[in-house]
Amino acid sequence: MQFLLWLERSALGSWVRESSSLWAYPTILFAHTVGLGFLVGTNTAVDLRMLGFAERLPLAPMERFFSVMWLGFWVNALSGTLLLIADASTKLTNPVFYVKMAFVTLAVVNMVLIRRRVFRDPALDTAPLAGPAKVLAVTSLFFWMGAITAGRLMAYFGPVSGAPGLQNRIP
Amino acid sequence: MLQAFSTWLHGTTLSWAVAGGIPWIWPACETLHFMGLALLVGVVGVLDLRMLGMAKGLPLGPLQRLMPWAILGFGINMVTGFLFFAGDPFQYIHNIAFGFKLLFIGLAGVNVILFYVTCLSRTVDGVGAGHDVPPAAKLVAATSLFLWVGVMYWGRMLPFIGNAF
Repeated sequence: MQFLLWLERSALGSWVRESSSLWAYPTILFAHTVGLGFLVGTNTAVDLRMLGFAERLPLAPMERFFSVMWLGFWVNALSGTLLLIADASTKLTNPVFYVKMAFVTLAVVNMVLIRRRVFRDPALDTAPLAGPAKVLAVTSLFFWMGAITAGRLMAYFGPVSGAPGLQNRIP
Repeated sequence: MLQAFSTWLHGTTLSWAVAGGIPWIWPACETLHFMGLALLVGVVGVLDLRMLGMAKGLPLGPLQRLMPWAILGFGINMVTGFLFFAGDPFQYIHNIAFGFKLLFIGLAGVNVILFYVTCLSRTVDGVGAGHDVPPAAKLVAATSLFLWVGVMYWGRMLPFIGNAF
């Protein structure tokens, strides 16, 4: 706890949380949202194709979008770390935060598995996708929805965090 | 008129329920709003990036068959967005960020309408794997990406530039 308090009271943590500049908390939160959109969104597009929607669309060229997913991931890892430092003592003691991290970990492992098992399969686009590939698409959608839900509920369960004056809670 | 409408809306049972009368509605709508965002930005983003030259191996006709999912995401966000508005209209009607958010959504709509009425969409539909879309379609794609990222920006700024939570 001492360490968490030290972290959030550091110059960086205090600046992110308390600066009145739009470049602090608001812009970091915005980056976290855009990263979410591209990371989860591109994953979703690939998952939907794997589940049989837009079936005339070849899957192989979609591998290029993994770079978009990873870009979204790193934007969110960085912006998320900054938001975490700013509220270390509240977020790191909130069980919902660990639920979110578990979902994100599962979703990212799932994403790597899709690339290795589905996109590296020499039979890709020559035969219909096998059952296990479709299972990976379903689990991917489930893990990302779990991550989004847990992320959002961090504002409602556990200790209050966030920019001062920002009341993202039910009265 | 907006004031009168907001006053009426604020007095409805729906408004009471969303604003905390039924406590789980607001967080549930926020969660759905993010899922709708991901669906919309993901599908539109993939389409726009392809038109801009990424993953050129994708033929555009079949790729456009994913568009109903983007429309579903937009629909989810229209409904949940309206519920937020109903819950507390007065934190939005004088909120500059909300004004810009609606403006950007409107411009994104105009962008899509132009894409269809100019028959650009039909040309794009026939663009196969490995081929470029016309420059006008690239402009539409770049505009779309800019506007949707802008919508996310103004949405995020609702509590910071404006007064909403």
